[in-house]
Amino acid sequence: MRKAGDIIGQESRDTYSICVGPVHPALKEPVRLNLRVRGERIEHVDFELSQVHRGIEWMGTRRNPIQILYLSERICGICNICHTFAFCRAVESIAGIEVPPRARYIRTIVAELERIHSHILWAGVAAHELGFDSAMHYAFRAREKVLDVIENLTGNRIMKAIMMIGGVRRDMDKGQARLVMEAADFYSRCSRKLEKIFLGDPVIKSRTRDTGILTRHDCLALCSVGPTARASGVRKDVRQDEPYGAYPDVGVKAMTPDEITGETRGDVYDRIAVRLREIKQSADIIGRCVKDMPEGKIAHEDKANVLLGELRGVQGEGIGRHEAPRGEVFHYVKLVGEEAPYSWKVRAPTYNNLLSWIPMMLGAQIADIPVIAASIDPCMSCTNRAVVTGPGRRQVLGQDMLHDLSVKRTRELRRGLRP
Amino acid sequence: MNANDVRDSFKRRFAGRIMAARTEIIKHKLKQVRHASRVWITVDSGELKNAVRHLCKITEHPHFIVISGYEKGKYLELTYHFSLNYASVMEEVVLSIKVRVSKENPVLPTITDLIPGALISEREMQEMLGVRIKGIPDSRRIFLHPGFPQGVYPWRRDETGPARLVRNLHKGGGR
Amino acid sequence: MKSRDFSRSLWVFHLNTGSCNGCDIEILAALTPRYDVERFGMKLVGSPRHADVLLVTGPVTRDMEDKLKRVYAQTPDPKVVMVVGNCGNTGDVFYESYNLAGPADRLIPVDVYVPGCPPRPEAVIYGVVKAWKLLEEGKRR
Repeated sequence: MRKAGDIIGQESRDTYSICVGPVHPALKEPVRLNLRVRGERIEHVDFELSQVHRGIEWMGTRRNPIQILYLSERICGICNICHTFAFCRAVESIAGIEVPPRARYIRTIVAELERIHSHILWAGVAAHELGFDSAMHYAFRAREKVLDVIENLTGNRIMKAIMMIGGVRRDMDKGQARLVMEAADFYSRCSRKLEKIFLGDPVIKSRTRDTGILTRHDCLALCSVGPTARASGVRKDVRQDEPYGAYPDVGVKAMTPDEITGETRGDVYDRIAVRLREIKQSADIIGRCVKDMPEGKIAHEDKANVLLGELRGVQGEGIGRHEAPRGEVFHYVKLVGEEAPYSWKVRAPTYNNLLSWIPMMLGAQIADIPVIAASIDPCMSCTNRAVVTGPGRRQVLGQDMLHDLSVKRTRELRRGLRP
Repeated sequence: MNANDVRDSFKRRFAGRIMAARTEIIKHKLKQVRHASRVWITVDSGELKNAVRHLCKITEHPHFIVISGYEKGKYLELTYHFSLNYASVMEEVVLSIKVRVSKENPVLPTITDLIPGALISEREMQEMLGVRIKGIPDSRRIFLHPGFPQGVYPWRRDETGPARLVRNLHKGGGR
Repeated sequence: MKSRDFSRSLWVFHLNTGSCNGCDIEILAALTPRYDVERFGMKLVGSPRHADVLLVTGPVTRDMEDKLKRVYAQTPDPKVVMVVGNCGNTGDVFYESYNLAGPADRLIPVDVYVPGCPPRPEAVIYGVVKAWKLLEEGKRR
């Protein structure tokens, strides 16, 4: 049995431990990384995840399914549609509720808008970690447009509160459809520009190429999901493997780096490429959904109390899945004919992707930590504070210092690239 | 290999030792009819390892999703969720293997030697439900911090549950 | 108070105590081009020792309780504590749990409350202006 203290106990004269974290926001993804390094090279990776455990699954067993919708939205503020979507699908599959086609299309549009916002947010954070703050500000400015559209559709910028069991809560009119189309066009163009900024830049390329490699074999063994898996050449995407919502009509194909750069290496560069191309893919999906949007009802049942009454009599267990921006979200729900579910299990994508940090970081340099950590998009900001301890010395490495190290490395590389 | 094949393969391999097996096809009525396949299998807790081994045999790289679990009377029920045939257009099957252990001696074997990605979930089951995972390579807590009281398992419903730790924030009052 | 110009720039330390990220990205949005409070010299800093304002989000998990108190102690006086988001203010949807120690004002003194789930960037900026006024008027701790 290993204990946290053992890592420090294993230090010798030339290795020392670094803790990165612990302040890191998300559902269960807050993380504190404990690394053992020899010189600049990382030799051992370990993490702790206890900082942001709020006990949401336990809370869920004391509330009714409609209350849980709003609770599950607050599992993660960035990808709040994905948890409500998966939860709704789980409950619908137990109760045998058929979702009207128009509601499926609206759900898909909102989910894809969320993917655009999340991927651009991630691109901004990645640019920041690399020391390209102008690219970060460009990305954040571009992101505001999708937030405006989301606000127009749902009434909120972040917490969309549009999902309902058996449908959606708000319809989309013609004017809104036009706005969404405009946004889809804008992001098609924007994705091209972001690709040019990120993939064409020689400094970003030399900083991320062959950094943090996750091989296909490791990816399959560690059960990675989402863009992290796709960048390693595993064509896994719930929208393709088990289409739901409007995806059967749209026909999504999982995006892998060989379609963009011609080869698959599974490094940070590939993960950037996959995410940026997915912005374009999402914009295309949104465009098709708006064009083909069927008419009709938007919900199985309008009145919440009638719906609750219906759900109260239902028994069984169900699974809901959704491809969130970071990977597959999985919800397991067990209803026993009571007000509250008997059991509710949430599996967010980072839950699986965290283990892939270990092969990515082994052998990498300290200055690469922010880049690699950000590359799986772990609902970021984990590199807040690092404490370096070693025999006879203790030094606090702040977020600033770690970030500066990363920026310095970029500058050195840039100097080296000049003719 | 579709959902029924998976179910039948398990039935053949574990003849008599499977307690329940069913498949469930969820139809999506859109322009093109698509479906989602679910297979639910209940095995004896002693056969869990063999079931996962069998799964690794019939399919290359089964994708481990998560373990869900709850307390049911004198037992703990854990469900191991896997996804098969992923990375192919609409042929994916979600397989859930359910096992039941008694609360007096809740021991299950680790599956991390077959699927390394199951580690986080196994650690979660140890702290949330109080199941002991035999042979787990890393038995530390993961989501509960080290200062969380020993012997309290948040997902349990009996006296070892979290009842005495629950606070209502709305009734919190001042400092 | 008459002051029309910002006589000093506020530096803000942001501490997440278990929030869902919603408030955190709105805080980030307030700093980036559309809302751009950086033009007033406000910025997020990496250490509480450099900060005038301690910005807290999240319902304070058991693990973060001690860290919140320590970060509060590390922030030099005069300081203003601002809580952004409903769950940090009252607990909101997380009102009942076995692993929460919050809301934040149970653990440390709070000067400015910004409600909303999440509050819009405008609301965050309004809160920062209030915090700045408190500092300028000397009603600080």
